[in-house]
Amino acid sequence: MSEVSWEIPTSYKPGMHVPARIYATKKLLDNMDSGVIEQATNVACLPGIVRYSYAMADAHWGYGFPIGGVAAFDTEKGIISPGGVGFDVNCGMRLIRTNLRYSEVKPKVKELVDLIFTLVPAGVGVKGSQGFTQSQMGDITSLGVRWCAEHDLAWDDDPQHVEEGGYIKGADIAKVSRQAISRGVSQFGTLGSGNHYLEIQVVDPTRYLDRQLAKEFGIVHDDQVMVMIHCGSRGFGHQVCSDYLRTFESGMRRFGIEVRDRDLACLPFSSKEGQDYYSAMVCAANFAFVNRQIIVNKVREAFARVFHRDAESLDMGLIYDVCHNVAKVETHTYDGTTAKVLVHRKGATRSFGPGHPDIPAPYREVGQPVIIGGSMETGSYLLIGTQKAMEETFGSTAHGSGRTMSRTAAKREVRGAELQKKMLERGIYVKAATMDGLAEEAGMAYKDISEVVETMDRAGISKKVAALRPVGNIKG
Amino acid sequence: MPFKFLPDVALADIAFEAESGTVDGLFETCALAITDIMVDPKTLRNTTQRTIALESENLDRLLYDFLTELIVMKDVDSLLFGRFEVRVSARGTSLSALASGEPIDRERHRLRNDVKAVTMHLFGIKHLGKKWKTTVVLDI
Repeated sequence: MSEVSWEIPTSYKPGMHVPARIYATKKLLDNMDSGVIEQATNVACLPGIVRYSYAMADAHWGYGFPIGGVAAFDTEKGIISPGGVGFDVNCGMRLIRTNLRYSEVKPKVKELVDLIFTLVPAGVGVKGSQGFTQSQMGDITSLGVRWCAEHDLAWDDDPQHVEEGGYIKGADIAKVSRQAISRGVSQFGTLGSGNHYLEIQVVDPTRYLDRQLAKEFGIVHDDQVMVMIHCGSRGFGHQVCSDYLRTFESGMRRFGIEVRDRDLACLPFSSKEGQDYYSAMVCAANFAFVNRQIIVNKVREAFARVFHRDAESLDMGLIYDVCHNVAKVETHTYDGTTAKVLVHRKGATRSFGPGHPDIPAPYREVGQPVIIGGSMETGSYLLIGTQKAMEETFGSTAHGSGRTMSRTAAKREVRGAELQKKMLERGIYVKAATMDGLAEEAGMAYKDISEVVETMDRAGISKKVAALRPVGNIKG
Repeated sequence: MPFKFLPDVALADIAFEAESGTVDGLFETCALAITDIMVDPKTLRNTTQRTIALESENLDRLLYDFLTELIVMKDVDSLLFGRFEVRVSARGTSLSALASGEPIDRERHRLRNDVKAVTMHLFGIKHLGKKWKTTVVLDI
């Protein structure tokens, strides 16, 4: 289609209802695992899919749907699939601003990281410190960050800087299992493990900075300090996914649905089971918004303690919070009609363009902030959504850099302690829950984040605002 | 070792293959593999015991539910287990198990990866000759 977008026609395999579209440079496409092509075209065979099955520039193999995959379904004739959302429902990114310059923060990075590490539990089986009860779970998972604001756990303007205003409508805790609630209730404010992290970052104009656009988000200095959080719905969301995978696999026979891969288990969105999963998944998505909010509160507390100033005077407002594992009902215009569709984004970010009513008022004229996290060594990016994304991809773009090396292979290449030392020499202080986990997340195990971002920028479905480089990292 | 890791099955996650001469042994081996992913088992003591009783519609689902139960106990009760005695019913639809381990101790345990879910990918028990075999892919 162009130098950064490729199309696989419906003739590629029997049963494809729509073509697949891959966003990638030739280099990224050549290095993309073959699973992405197979999985994107498998998704194109699912009932009720509209327009295209998409794979973004960071796509790699996932369970059923590729990670980096986007697919929209007719809400009447289409399906919903837990495999199109992912196990970690509403895994996402949150970016907080500060008014501090790197020169002020540099001498304090170790102190900050060490303190945040004690305030934000990370690693195997950790518990948070909020003391929530099971009886509160219904309200918390219905109202998300709005519940936090009502209970002095968020600033007044935090909810509007979160996708969907901090909560997705349609939650029903009655559709969530006892096991999921038990796993989740003690995990608010925990980072988790795997590829989750909390990072102190500095704006990096040597890689990219659009000063005019950046100003819209309160970024006014070339070396301004930010904090980025990557985590999701913890055991709560994983259990919701596990529970409904079982339900969906057995339910498909009843609806006569056949899929090419058992991980694509799906049911009609309009069915009772489909609606039940949606309500439970929304609970998990709202859980994740709250989890990231509690973590933000801890980060604000840490900065206030280290700099002996309150977080308000450090201007630690949210730039934005985006989901990158979710399915949502959204209104889109495609093929000449405007209709509600169920958009699955699995390892993909909403990228709404300027003027969209769902974008908070302060950003509405420029577009929705898009936060793309890289590996802990290579840095991350802030972008904005575009009108072209609305026209081409149901307002969606990439989410990160995408893994290219297995965890075992990464550990063979580098030891955790050695990596920690090398990163310190490069000005990145890292504190990790385990050294094995650190080695597994080494930068070499991921695609080049800049190439991913460049691809999406050149494709016009999101636009670069600022590059961010890590100076302190907490690895779960 | 009756289980081996499969590094190329799921790049972002962890997969293993397990085998045993009995169904009970296969369940125990899978449980030990999950423990090995989360903690260095040499650092784990067996001071706490839990009984597990489960019923499922078939043998595959029974294993899925058993392994999920271990993940739930890790999150809810902060328990990791280093020894298992599993008895699966002749019909393969129920089990009783005794798991021995201890609460997570961040100072003493050499912790590894946090296992979050059992996936359905490649999941299924096979009876090949005298061996029971399975592949398990875990979300990390």
